[in-house]
Amino acid sequence: MLDPSLIRPEIALDDFLPIFVSSVLAMLFGGFYVGIYTAVKVKMLKSWAMPIAYLFWLFTAYCLYIMGSLMHVGEFTAKALIVSMIGYLLLPHAVYHMQHQVHEENEH
Amino acid sequence: MASSTLNESKQLATWYFTFAFILFGAQLLFGLVAAIQYVMPGFLFEILDFSVARTLHINALVVWMVFAMFGSVYWLLPDETGIDTVGIKIGKLLYWIFVAAIAVVVLVYIFVQVGPADETTIWFIMEGREYIEAPRWADFGIVVVALGFVANLFLTGIKGKQTGIVTVLMADMIAFAGLYLAGMFFTDNISVDQYWWWWVIHLWVEATWEVFVGAIAAYGLITMIGAHRKVVEMWLWIEVAMLFGSGILGMGHHYFWIGTPEYWWEIGALFSALEPLPLVAMFVHVLYDWGKTQGAEMNAEHTDEDSVRSVIQNKPAFTWFVFNAFGNFLGAGVWGFFHTLPQVNLYTHGTQFTSAHGHLAFFGAYATILIGMMYIAVQGKNNIKVMNNTKSSIWAVSLIVGGVMGMTVALTIAGYVQVLVSRAQMGATWAGYFDGQAGMWFAQGMDWRLIMGVVTFLGFLLLAKDLLTTGKNPVHER
Repeated sequence: MLDPSLIRPEIALDDFLPIFVSSVLAMLFGGFYVGIYTAVKVKMLKSWAMPIAYLFWLFTAYCLYIMGSLMHVGEFTAKALIVSMIGYLLLPHAVYHMQHQVHEENEH
Repeated sequence: MASSTLNESKQLATWYFTFAFILFGAQLLFGLVAAIQYVMPGFLFEILDFSVARTLHINALVVWMVFAMFGSVYWLLPDETGIDTVGIKIGKLLYWIFVAAIAVVVLVYIFVQVGPADETTIWFIMEGREYIEAPRWADFGIVVVALGFVANLFLTGIKGKQTGIVTVLMADMIAFAGLYLAGMFFTDNISVDQYWWWWVIHLWVEATWEVFVGAIAAYGLITMIGAHRKVVEMWLWIEVAMLFGSGILGMGHHYFWIGTPEYWWEIGALFSALEPLPLVAMFVHVLYDWGKTQGAEMNAEHTDEDSVRSVIQNKPAFTWFVFNAFGNFLGAGVWGFFHTLPQVNLYTHGTQFTSAHGHLAFFGAYATILIGMMYIAVQGKNNIKVMNNTKSSIWAVSLIVGGVMGMTVALTIAGYVQVLVSRAQMGATWAGYFDGQAGMWFAQGMDWRLIMGVVTFLGFLLLAKDLLTTGKNPVHER
């Protein structure tokens, strides 16, 4: 007989699959966000694709929210995840802006 | 790959690349042996047990990458500093010492395998720390070689032109060599031992090696697509700051369960969450420079569309560099972040999740860019002006990337079964460990890992063919 104390109670067994799927989707959508954003900015894709990039960021944030909720993360981790998602939204903009400015300053 | 037309530093670089490539093949072969043993546990039983095959697989991985890194530095030093590498004769001598030491260590792993678990084992057979299991005599040899390498780099950097790339490499390589010392001494307390061991493993791969990749990517962008040096080097410094800023304390995610204080949970969670950010930045950086340079060419005046040339001087190498940008972000960033929070890591620690992350991260972040450097060396050695893709290079990159991605997905699914069965349902018990491994999804995951491992090895053979036949291939512009 399995000692009940060995089973960690934080996460319900039925929640494991939704957690796994939501975190996989968070990864995929996060990759699409940065990839499409970058491709539009360097003109590999037309500009109409940009809203799709942001849509993928929204999907990423939602999947991470689902994942965090089902995992019952603590207050600190919840804040860290929110800050990460805001950072993830802003970072490609900051990177592109810095790249662009430096190119402008050095080539014109 | 050695050639008499190259200067001595580049010639030495080709030696390093050649031995690195041989070890790369050995890494894949022993990985296949270990993968077969998951499917057929009796395979090579008591001849080359899983523990030995795994040791050879992961140590060959680290050593071929170190060889290729040294080769990369010897290759770019004359280009960056404008002078011949200082102390190249000592560099060549140290190369042979390094090769001989590695050969002896590998032979001991294969033919001696285990010792009496006392001081003689530590000194002459293996130290038992994953990834850096070399016995202590070899440790000292490696330190001597690394010091010689760092001395060559510093003396050349000080005497020649000090570009941003060389300056970053000088700082980075001294940290890279110095950190190895943290994995050399023995304590009988496993927590203390692991505490220091992670200084080597984590601070290598998530700090100094990543900075090295940033420097090599900068060199590659300048040499392959003519990217603006000032821009690339400015960006390199930002990457260094971001990588060290998140990577050093990101080490906390290794300190969750080894007996270190609980404050490492918060430190590890926060800084690990930040770790993917510089990788996103590097990804954007590479694609931006490529798009910008190619865009300038396309906007230039041309009489017809066919006359728009590619700005890429070495297409196979650049392909590998682009896969590096993707692979670093996916393997190190995303698959790492996947299980880096303590709440998740409580379940995933020591499962095939770790293995999935390890495979994609080492490949995506390091193998890709080092193979790219090998292509740059082959281009230089054969005096090729524009290096084009060949059927072999395209098949090689497709099979290797597809194979590694396939292994990663298979291991991730197997890891999920372990998390659910071995950890969640069975409470991380002895019985839970075996129940998890007996599951159908786990077994099929191991089957697919083996199949994808074979695909990867076929890609390696094609890569070897492509690199070895480049000199005679007429598709390249000379």
